[in-house]
Amino acid sequence: EAPLGLYFSRDAYWERLYVDQPAGTPLLYVHALRDSPEEVPSFRLGQHLYSAYRTRLHENDWIRIHEDTGLLYLNQSLDHSSWEQLSIRNGGFPLLTIFLQVFLGSATQREGECHWPGCARVYFSFMNDSFPACGSLKPQDLCIPETGLSFRIRENRPPGTFYRFQLLPVQSLCPNISVAYRLLEGESLPFYCDPDSLEVSTLWALDRELQEKYVLEAECIVGSGDHEKKVAMSLPVTVYDEDDSAPTFPGGVDTASAVVEFKRKEGTVLATLHVFDADVVPASGELVRRYTSTLLSGDSWAQQNFRVEHSPNETLAQVNNNSVRATMHDYKLVLNRSLPISESRVLQLMVLVNDSDFQGPGTGVLFLHFNVSVLPVTLNLPSDYSFPVNRRAHRYAQIGKVCVENGQEFSGISIQYKLQPSSTNCSALGVVTSAEDTSGTLFVNDTEALQRPECTELQYTVVATDRQTRQQAQASLLVTVEGTFVAEEVDCPKSCAVNKRRPECEECGGLGSPTGRCEWRQGDGKGITRNFSTCTPNTRTCPDGHCDAVESRDSNICPQDCLRGSIVGGHEPGERRGIKAGYGTCYCFPDEKKCFCEPEDSQGPLCDELCRTVI
Amino acid sequence: SLASPSSLQGSELHGWRPPVDCVRANELCAAESNCSSRYRTLRQCLAGRDRNTMLANKECQAALEVLQESPLYDCRCKRGMKKELQCLQIYWSIHLGLTEGEEFYEASPYEPVTSRLSDIFRLASIFSGTGADPVVSAKSNHCLDAAKACNLNDNCKKLRSSYISICNREISSTERCNRRKCHKALRQFFDRVPSEYTYRMLFCSCQDQACAERRRQTILPSCSYEDKEKPNCLDLRTLCRIDHLCRSRLADFHANCRASYRTLTSCPADNYQACLGSYAGMIGFDMTPNYVDSNPTGIVVSPWCNCRGSGNQEEECEKFLRDFTENPCLRNAIQAFGNGTDVNMSP
Repeated sequence: EAPLGLYFSRDAYWERLYVDQPAGTPLLYVHALRDSPEEVPSFRLGQHLYSAYRTRLHENDWIRIHEDTGLLYLNQSLDHSSWEQLSIRNGGFPLLTIFLQVFLGSATQREGECHWPGCARVYFSFMNDSFPACGSLKPQDLCIPETGLSFRIRENRPPGTFYRFQLLPVQSLCPNISVAYRLLEGESLPFYCDPDSLEVSTLWALDRELQEKYVLEAECIVGSGDHEKKVAMSLPVTVYDEDDSAPTFPGGVDTASAVVEFKRKEGTVLATLHVFDADVVPASGELVRRYTSTLLSGDSWAQQNFRVEHSPNETLAQVNNNSVRATMHDYKLVLNRSLPISESRVLQLMVLVNDSDFQGPGTGVLFLHFNVSVLPVTLNLPSDYSFPVNRRAHRYAQIGKVCVENGQEFSGISIQYKLQPSSTNCSALGVVTSAEDTSGTLFVNDTEALQRPECTELQYTVVATDRQTRQQAQASLLVTVEGTFVAEEVDCPKSCAVNKRRPECEECGGLGSPTGRCEWRQGDGKGITRNFSTCTPNTRTCPDGHCDAVESRDSNICPQDCLRGSIVGGHEPGERRGIKAGYGTCYCFPDEKKCFCEPEDSQGPLCDELCRTVI
Repeated sequence: SLASPSSLQGSELHGWRPPVDCVRANELCAAESNCSSRYRTLRQCLAGRDRNTMLANKECQAALEVLQESPLYDCRCKRGMKKELQCLQIYWSIHLGLTEGEEFYEASPYEPVTSRLSDIFRLASIFSGTGADPVVSAKSNHCLDAAKACNLNDNCKKLRSSYISICNREISSTERCNRRKCHKALRQFFDRVPSEYTYRMLFCSCQDQACAERRRQTILPSCSYEDKEKPNCLDLRTLCRIDHLCRSRLADFHANCRASYRTLTSCPADNYQACLGSYAGMIGFDMTPNYVDSNPTGIVVSPWCNCRGSGNQEEECEKFLRDFTENPCLRNAIQAFGNGTDVNMSP
């Protein structure tokens, strides 16, 4: 940090150096701005000349600075041999640019640490030639430094001088060329150029929250009368921010209510409150450390079960037709662990937000309020279910779904379904729970029982149990067995998916088919598509891109959704398992863990993943 | 007042001596008791949490001064060399001591690239068979040709299909792929496949959107490039600089692609090949760059970051980002490669 609060108006300065420029040639001015009115800058040069990549080249024997004015000048002419001496020390890099460090204040600082605001670098581009003849200089070369100008001014600081027009070496070596400067327009702008000294100053303290960028337009006039030439220049000024705005609630909203009911899973976002801060400091790197949020609650239950997540976002705020950057902080109240369904309470949570860099006046502290209601969930099943089932259904044929009320909305609640048969003779069904929608899928588990003539009506009680609290709900289930039994042909395969063509598909049944026959799905034939042709036990459940709880019981039911193995031919694999999209017809051999996707009639070459990506 | 490229080339060659690689320099240092003990001291100085305070210590300063005279000081590494990481660790152990604090541009630890684009064109034209005649090939899809050429080469095909299948493998609905493995496979591809193949795929010129989209897809950006959130570029740079390899590749990019107003091509020493090489060298790291869209002619490349949340460092952040998005050297180099034109170098 700079001693006192002085700072440079730029972090880097640029000038050209030529061979044999005479001693005493002025080079450029550096400028320091003040943090408080009583400060007086004192400039000091670092001891060494560095190469562009910070290799120490030599002690600086050539350039000096006026401690008070910040004028850098040549103390000694730089001849060819000096340059060669510097080049040799520069390792493998061609010597094009060197730099010097300028410090503010007389306190000794380590040479190694040159960082704005207390230190600036002055770069010199080395031209391996003597200074050009004055007549050969273009207006551009007489007016503007070759590297663009840009300035940094801190907000809320006393006004001061931050630049001086004029290229000093040109002016001193070509005194006969008249060069004048003029700041254009900007009556209302807080900038001013003194016509005698050519110094550009601010008129009053700037406020970043009103405007953070200014581009000063200036004009450089070379020569006079008929030979007059004008060069336009622009001087961008960036206003630097400090933490001078306290956080506020947009629209005054400091309270949000949150209800925990069906979504009880760890990580559920319950409510969000926004905090606006007109500042952009602290920046993203250290924001989380400086902008803290603490969940205030003596209740250890609340501390364990809730947390606050903070995500800051840069936004733009409109001030007097200017866009200025600002920060919007989102504070989310999040469940820290899954809550049991029996939990029921109402509580108020307070969160302390602290903008710890804010200096005042006032305070940088805010309180967020969350009114949280945790409602209990009671399990309910509809009073009764009834489903038909075909007597010819194969094992794992899906016949219906059972679900507790609002089950689709559940998250973080684990329900298990069970069947209790009223008579043990005709117990043909099973049930599995699918975690995605908390429903239970009924399927045929015992085909022999189904085929018995006495089993025409199957009666069950469905019991849903919450794993965590053991809470239960019950419903009755009546399944009527319809149709007559027809024996399967002898050479039918176990799985529908092995069938490659429609006729052989529809001749047989396979594991999972509810009617005793496989079904053919005709694809759209549009290249590699999700709607590929295939043979399946039931087109409503397979393939649907999802290996459900019944299908995952046996790889023969729906390998199109459940296969973990290789797919040969044009295809797109599913997430982790199955075929997401395929080319032509896809058929599978579940025992060999293989599927093939190939065009319906042609014998074209198979395309693996690479060839698909290539052509 | 622009210096001609030939005179720069001359001054660059003059006084340049081939550097020792840092692994070798380390061996030389280890054989000498004074050097090896100072090197040990310096590594202890740098290992501390409060590095700057440690470095201010007299012993550390003395160690640095001695080492500046040793072969370790000037040593460099080669891209894709054996023990590259070890070499870079040795390099940075000295150079982190010299450059305290964050520098905007850092010196590259890699040896300067001396080959030219013209060498690549000569080889590339053998594969394409068209002699890289821009008139003949104006209508064709160069990016498709490049992919075909790669598939005709066993090594290129093998490493390409390897990164494609790794980067395409979906882990779950929330995890698009294994990014770490994808980056590793991409690094292998760009390190081990000759640049005649890799550059043709990465820098092919395009007339239509389909071609440009293929070019954008070369590195499988949905896995290797895009992410849920765009970090701030300076935060991303900090992350990159923690890793010796990423830091080195970024420094190399800055050394070879940084726009210069003193050369005709805007590239340092008018060397397009060096710039393209160090651009490709960043693929597979945190700073992985890519084409931002499938615009066939308006080429804009960028790492996956932006300057939101920069606070008072917005200027610095934008300056950093502009070295990718609005860099005339990089743009000229990519276009020159696509058109098959290199600058004519005087001998």
